[in-house]
Amino acid sequence: MKKLLLIPILAATANVAGASIPINGFIESKCVIQSDTPGMFGNPTVDKLSTKSADGGVMPIIRYDIVTASKYKAVITTPTNFSSSPNLSDSVEWTSTTVAGQMSDSGMSVFNTDKSIYNNGHTTEFDLVKAGSVWFNVTSEAEYGYGKAFPSGNYTALIVAECIAK
Amino acid sequence: MRLLVLLLLLIGGYANAHQFTPTYPKLELSHMPGIMKADMVLFNDRKEIRYYGVSVFDKEWNPVRFATQSKIIPINYKERKYLTIYLSGKGIKKAKYICSKSKILTSISTPSIVSSRICSKLK
Repeated sequence: MKKLLLIPILAATANVAGASIPINGFIESKCVIQSDTPGMFGNPTVDKLSTKSADGGVMPIIRYDIVTASKYKAVITTPTNFSSSPNLSDSVEWTSTTVAGQMSDSGMSVFNTDKSIYNNGHTTEFDLVKAGSVWFNVTSEAEYGYGKAFPSGNYTALIVAECIAK
Repeated sequence: MRLLVLLLLLIGGYANAHQFTPTYPKLELSHMPGIMKADMVLFNDRKEIRYYGVSVFDKEWNPVRFATQSKIIPINYKERKYLTIYLSGKGIKKAKYICSKSKILTSISTPSIVSSRICSKLK
């Protein structure tokens, strides 16, 4: 009888011992840059390359994950030349825009209202004052000469996405 | 809208990420007199990237001389590397930013490529 009484006591003790395994975690302040959608140039007219969907292109999308608010700024620089292309004898005029599109927190809309643009419109700086995830949409257009046709071949341009600690 | 963001987060397994921590590294004494060091961690979650470059800048973004095992770091996909940045002399006072930047091979011919750079700030 005494032995039977001991069984639930021992079982309870075993449960307590089994429940004390800790799982520790630490989230440090950081900024993560993700190349979410690689862009693609469309060629709507012979003299133009564009990432706009209306021009048959694919807009590059860069995602930033911000763990702690107000620790970083995002700086996105759009191309002003091709990193590889066929030989071009005339000048190329570049125009671009960078905007915060999808965002995990509606308060991140301040990224767009408070952004600063410099470097002839090719560099956009966002103060990351809210934590969460934000997707920056980049459009880039290149126009060749004065209505000149781009030579056939492969064209590659580089977007630089930076996260700089404040 | 929130559902869409959540879905994008969930299907974001494709995404390619670059991490460089800590945000605010501290200079510490090294085993050599007059040399200070900062320990950094680089994580590569970008499938198309195999190399990162490390550089150090002052507050005006002028390059600062430093030493490390290799200024171009070969790193595999989903690999984490621990780096030690060594500074000496004037560099100890001047250094403000430690940056890592993805290096893109010329063989990659995607029409639009994103080069990522993350800079930590020495406090």
